[in-house]
Amino acid sequence: MLTEEKQPILSIRDLNIWYGDKQILRDLSFEVQQRQVTAFIGPTNCGKSTLVRCINRLNDFTPNFRSIGEILFKGSHLHEASDATALRKQIGMVFRKPTLFRCSIYENVAYGAQIAGVNQSEHLDIIVEKNLQKTGLWDEVEDILDETPEQLSTGQQQLLCIARALAVDPEVLIFDEPCGELDPIETVKIETLVRDLTNEYTLIFATNKRRQAARVSDVAGFLYGGELIEFGATEKIFTNPQDNRTEQYVTGRLG
Amino acid sequence: MNAMTTRAERKQKFVLQGIPFIIFGIAAIPIWKALKKTDAADMQVVSPNVLSMLLNDLYILLSVSCLAILLGIVCAFYLEEWLPKNNWARRLIESHVAILTSIPSTLYGILAISIFFSYAGTLKVIDGAPPAQNTESIPFQRNTTLFCGEVLTFIFMVTPVTIKTTQEALRSVATPVREAVFALGASQWQVLRQHVVPIAFIRILAGGCRAMSRAFATAALLIGIYIWYDTTDAGGMSGRFILFLAVSLFLSVFSSSLTEVYDSDLTQRS
Ligand SMILES: Nc1ncnc2c1ncn2[C@@H]1O[C@H](COP(=O)(O)OP(=O)(O)O)[C@@H](O)[C@H]1O
Ligand SMILES: [Mg+2]
Repeated sequence: MLTEEKQPILSIRDLNIWYGDKQILRDLSFEVQQRQVTAFIGPTNCGKSTLVRCINRLNDFTPNFRSIGEILFKGSHLHEASDATALRKQIGMVFRKPTLFRCSIYENVAYGAQIAGVNQSEHLDIIVEKNLQKTGLWDEVEDILDETPEQLSTGQQQLLCIARALAVDPEVLIFDEPCGELDPIETVKIETLVRDLTNEYTLIFATNKRRQAARVSDVAGFLYGGELIEFGATEKIFTNPQDNRTEQYVTGRLG
Repeated sequence: MNAMTTRAERKQKFVLQGIPFIIFGIAAIPIWKALKKTDAADMQVVSPNVLSMLLNDLYILLSVSCLAILLGIVCAFYLEEWLPKNNWARRLIESHVAILTSIPSTLYGILAISIFFSYAGTLKVIDGAPPAQNTESIPFQRNTTLFCGEVLTFIFMVTPVTIKTTQEALRSVATPVREAVFALGASQWQVLRQHVVPIAFIRILAGGCRAMSRAFATAALLIGIYIWYDTTDAGGMSGRFILFLAVSLFLSVFSSSLTEVYDSDLTQRS
């Protein structure tokens, strides 16, 4: 049992990625442990989004995208998984810009559960309430569930996106700069939530704010120039980095 | 309560999605009838009732363009949503669509000559001078070949424009929306049916209508030309007519191939 817990939920080996002829990532290898926050830091355009989007195979739709290397999710190869939609139900994602559907708040949250096959309205009611409560949004939207999410603040919209992703019941949740469009107060809310979610989920968190990574993550990786310069416990990365470039980045002299 | 609204809205959506099928049904019936009716016995029969004849023609052309629009929409969905981005078939079809849409609608008159002649029969009846058992007028009346000509004309005029406008409508549904749906584990089909189509629906419809109006304008113009052509000296006029058409055709194909080169340059550079 104990050894099973130690098994990484995701392992990536020698991952290389190109867009057309341009190589974006070079020989990446790392492992993601269950129920932890694994953060990727690095300057803009260093390939954080590209990396995390490989994990739920969202890059499949990008023309010119090409990758070699292995990504194993719970021991099985990602590229051999015939069904990317089934994979995406297990690995959810929250984007930088909250994108909600043109329907009610209730339907936004219920949508993922519906396409996963939940149809009974009582079940949907329970799922919607449970996940809105997990994100701490329930009290604010309880009375306006039938209205569109446009009236919500950006921070609330992002929380709603998180609730929507949780309603699919994933095991892993990817955050790609979730606070990129938010003000500091809203950012704190998201960060607190991310910490809380580690009780149930495995989280992958891409950000270009180093302090944010230091606050939320257990493990961090520094991406620079297409390479994973350093990967390890967050504390170590930020207090005792092994690589010169990592030190320069975390102290603000690089990137 | 939530479930109630969801159910009501689902019903509404269901009705909306029925519209294309209703259009298709309306379109299919008269074409089927016309195909069944136009056998050898009908060849020489021209309805003496001009109004009903015109309405009948209008009805058939409306149905044909509805079918052409549906064909265009299906093609556009296939190109935009299923074919890979740099697939050779996609490039081939798109460059042809670009040429076909850039041709001025008047030029489709060449193809539409069949419409022209089928109306000629009607116009003779208006004049009150029924074509005596004159062998020359027989090919000018509606028969299956001419009807197929009409269908082809409308398909050539309407379908490429619809393909283009539908593609534009589909592209207008931003990538973040699609990615948000995909990230929840939706299939390609669910993304299309539940998100892309509802957003793009109006634009697709508007594009189809625009294409149809273009086709009808051309048909009307041709009838006008025929009347004019019938009453003046044909010799010199038809020579000029054909020359103008040839120049216009050359220029439109040339300009569309120029934009094609320009476009592919742009995409290569970016
Ligand atoms: N679809 C694409 N086609 C070509 N190049 C791309 C595409 N998406 C991203 N890139 C390039 O890949 C690099 C990494 O981008 P990205 O992963 O978005 O970085 P980050 O998220 O760290 O800011 C950038 O240089 C970007 O220009
Ligand atoms: Mg990014």
